[in-house]
Amino acid sequence: MQRKNKNIKSQLFKVGFFFLIVGILVISITPLKKLKEEVFEEMRLAIFQSNINSENTTINDVNTENLSVTPENTEIAKENDKKANYSYIGQLSIPKIKLKRGFVSKESKYNNIEHNITIAKEADYPDVPMGNFILMAHSGNAYISFFDKLYKLEIGDEASVSYNAVTYNYRLTNIYNQAKTGTVAIYRNPNVKTLTLITCTRNDDYNQTIYIFEEI
Amino acid sequence: MDLSIIEQIMTFITLPFQSFLTIEILLIFIILYIFLLYNEKRQSKKVKVTLTALIIFFFSLLVFYFSDDIINVLSEIIKTIMRCFYFPNIVFYILTVIISLIILIYTVLKEKITKLNKIITYTFTIIHLFLFTNFITLAITNNLSLIDSANIYQHDQMFVIVLFSQIIFILLIIYKLIYHFCYIRHEKLKNK
Repeated sequence: MQRKNKNIKSQLFKVGFFFLIVGILVISITPLKKLKEEVFEEMRLAIFQSNINSENTTINDVNTENLSVTPENTEIAKENDKKANYSYIGQLSIPKIKLKRGFVSKESKYNNIEHNITIAKEADYPDVPMGNFILMAHSGNAYISFFDKLYKLEIGDEASVSYNAVTYNYRLTNIYNQAKTGTVAIYRNPNVKTLTLITCTRNDDYNQTIYIFEEI
Repeated sequence: MDLSIIEQIMTFITLPFQSFLTIEILLIFIILYIFLLYNEKRQSKKVKVTLTALIIFFFSLLVFYFSDDIINVLSEIIKTIMRCFYFPNIVFYILTVIISLIILIYTVLKEKITKLNKIITYTFTIIHLFLFTNFITLAITNNLSLIDSANIYQHDQMFVIVLFSQIIFILLIIYKLIYHFCYIRHEKLKNK
């Protein structure tokens, strides 16, 4: 009888232990996914940085008299961008919230909110004079919530964008909310180069927040 | 960082007396230590339970006060483990290969190992070493510098080889740990 009781207790303990492990796994899966994404992102940025360094070394060796950008070159570059599977063309960093994240070209299939910080179709690249570089990403708890800490930003905070081996520095000048209707109106100074970040408003399912940065 | 050895020792000695809080912490730990030693003599179960509860309480208090920092530290630890798994640097990778090699040589030379154990160990270690050889071959053919991790992992083939190597290595280590745990338990039961 005692042995039977012991067996039942032992089995109950095993079942309890199993459920405990499953519970821990279920709870920790999202934070672990987020950490994994961060680790992969670090490596992607390291590869991006390493490629910039190697490209710069090559440029140093080239005779600058022959350097000219032709429409054909641009087309080839665009074609290469489409073929590239996950190579970054630039990087956004916001030191205050320790955000460092790369972005792919507009044409890349990975320029998608489910994979990356996404460049809006209407956006100008950072090297366009008086242009508006628009980036969008999720916020929340998911591992793809790259803009989950944007709510901590205040007017005057700085951000930088590295693109084509040039770093563009910006300062936050305006934050405003708009209803989620599928479109967004951007209010900015057209005489200044700007960076616009768009994400869902924190703890609000019906609004989105727009952060306008102006170049310093 | 640039202290001499004597300065380092002096700093270490004066560390617990820097503020009232540090003296308090020192006293708590000394009392805890004395209680543990004293209880070894008395072997009182009540004291044992109370001390364990006190230790847990003390560290829970620390966790409560420094929860954000502890979460950050834990995240960093998990990220370091993930980095070692997904993108190990070449030193770590070679270290796993050396461990694998030592296990293989030990298994070949050791006679008191069952055949099944030998077969499983050979399978894991040979696959691991084969993948490492492939890794080196690919690095040579692609003319890659192995010092820079970014240089290695931008090649999908290299990434896949290292990833599978790590999986095989972890399986080998888990197998070895389970085997030794079961073996020791089995031997104990046999002796009883």
